[in-house]
Amino acid sequence: MLPAIAVLACITIYPFLWLIWMSLHKVDIGGAGDVWNNFKNWSRLANDAKFKQGWWLLLKYSAMCMFAEVGLGILLAVILNRSRWEKLLVTIFLMPMMMAPIVAGLVWYYLYNSTFGWYHWLLQSAGILGEKTILADTGTAMLGIVIVDVWQWTPLIILIVLAGLKRVPSDQLEANMVDGAGEIRNFFQITLPNLYPFLLIAILLRFMDNFRFIDAILVLTGGGPADSTKILPTYLFDVSFKFFKLGRGAAIAVTLLIVTIVLGLILVKVFENPASKINNQEVA
Amino acid sequence: MASSEVVQYNTPWRRAISIGIGVFLFVYLLWTTLPFFIMFVSSFKDLLEAFKLPAVGHWAGVVVFFDFTPTIKHYLNLFVDLSFSTYLINSIIASAGSAVISITFGAMCAYSLSRFEFRGKKDLFFWIISTRMAPVVAVMVPLYAIFRGAGLVGTLPGLILAYTTFNLPFAVWILKGFFDNVPYAIEEAQMCDGGTRYQAFWSILPLIAPGMGAFMVLCILFAWNDFLFASIIGSGGAKTLPVATRELVQPQNIQWGSIMAAGVVTTIPMMFLGFLIRRYLITGLTMGAVRE
Repeated sequence: MLPAIAVLACITIYPFLWLIWMSLHKVDIGGAGDVWNNFKNWSRLANDAKFKQGWWLLLKYSAMCMFAEVGLGILLAVILNRSRWEKLLVTIFLMPMMMAPIVAGLVWYYLYNSTFGWYHWLLQSAGILGEKTILADTGTAMLGIVIVDVWQWTPLIILIVLAGLKRVPSDQLEANMVDGAGEIRNFFQITLPNLYPFLLIAILLRFMDNFRFIDAILVLTGGGPADSTKILPTYLFDVSFKFFKLGRGAAIAVTLLIVTIVLGLILVKVFENPASKINNQEVA
Repeated sequence: MASSEVVQYNTPWRRAISIGIGVFLFVYLLWTTLPFFIMFVSSFKDLLEAFKLPAVGHWAGVVVFFDFTPTIKHYLNLFVDLSFSTYLINSIIASAGSAVISITFGAMCAYSLSRFEFRGKKDLFFWIISTRMAPVVAVMVPLYAIFRGAGLVGTLPGLILAYTTFNLPFAVWILKGFFDNVPYAIEEAQMCDGGTRYQAFWSILPLIAPGMGAFMVLCILFAWNDFLFASIIGSGGAKTLPVATRELVQPQNIQWGSIMAAGVVTTIPMMFLGFLIRRYLITGLTMGAVRE
């Protein structure tokens, strides 16, 4: 057990310290050695419009994904929870999650294509899209990548909410019914509050995954057109792996990591909170 | 349940709602499965047939989608002309290797975390989960430098180690939850009979074996679907399926038929594995926060 921790330490803590080191130096991949540059990487971030825009777009992207996924997820979970075909339907709905994000990106890229994409044809025929091409228009590109994320990850929210629904105490529901509540009032007064911890976990997980996985976006738009989908991780990818500004990349990476750590702390708090009843093994 | 039966009168309003729900489910079903269906069918189409599209607004033209003669030439292209069989084997070795290592060490780690109290345990715990959540792009540069220093770039052992960086924390975290649920009394009895701590560990292992199996499968799934690690650490000698699929996209000539075929090859095994561990999926994907 100790060797495992030791190996893990080598490949996790060490890179983090190295990142901080790099963020404080001018890093030359030619091997000329790193030069201290007086926080220049950091001070440049303060004036870097693309960096700020990256954060803003990341938040916007995540918010759009979350809004659609949580809404759809709750709706579908509630319906499925009462359906006769729950098992079968959930199994089918899970399929997108198993697909490699890069493959999902490619398939959707094909579907969106303006000359032979079926979804492009569908949207144009329905008169929604007009003459635009989804991924090539600054107005719709963001929507395009959000749709792919929603397609792939709504099932996760469905699963989490379904697990939550099974744990809503039925005595509370019945008591509320006795008080004269209908099904809709029951949902908002009893079911939804009981789902909050589950929704919080779902949102935190999805938010962190939006930081982690940019595979689909790299394929779909690569951050374009005109940087309208250049969310921070994609910008970081460009800075480090296209322009090879490793020092600046490291500074961006540190900001990303810090936010992730804060989110992780919140997640662990939620996880450990006994009042959330999530860890409750006894299912009613 | 008697009360709910009383409420269930069949008013037109209720019937409208249930029809609406049915339609909604059907639309969502289509929305989920259509990309799979199109991917699957397109992988058997010749290039020109795949590009056929009805005129805008010509709804009846949808039938051209089915107007093609099935061909397996894209699959032949992948496995005969290109070396997809090598990439397939690379994918299998890298993901299975990292899954076995992660679960083996993860189980030991998780056991000690679950059974022993020591200072800084909470911090250790948080650190373990945080490594799982770190954005890959952020840590890629230093990781690449470390791997290059160790001569592991472009090799399968390197890729296995890279996948272990995110699979091991996952395994430790999730298996600890399983060990926590095994009563300590079993090991106590074992140790009273003169067994060592090591024997005690082995005696309770069968109890969590199904969980270990399921999470090993999940580790395989995470590693198999990875793109960033494989494209940077594995570049050169250890190309996996997702990277090879991505490389079919050339600026001048995108081989859509082959891409769809490669997508099918990459996706089908994982779908099968996913269904296999359906029961553990939610526990795994929420890091053990939610159980079914």
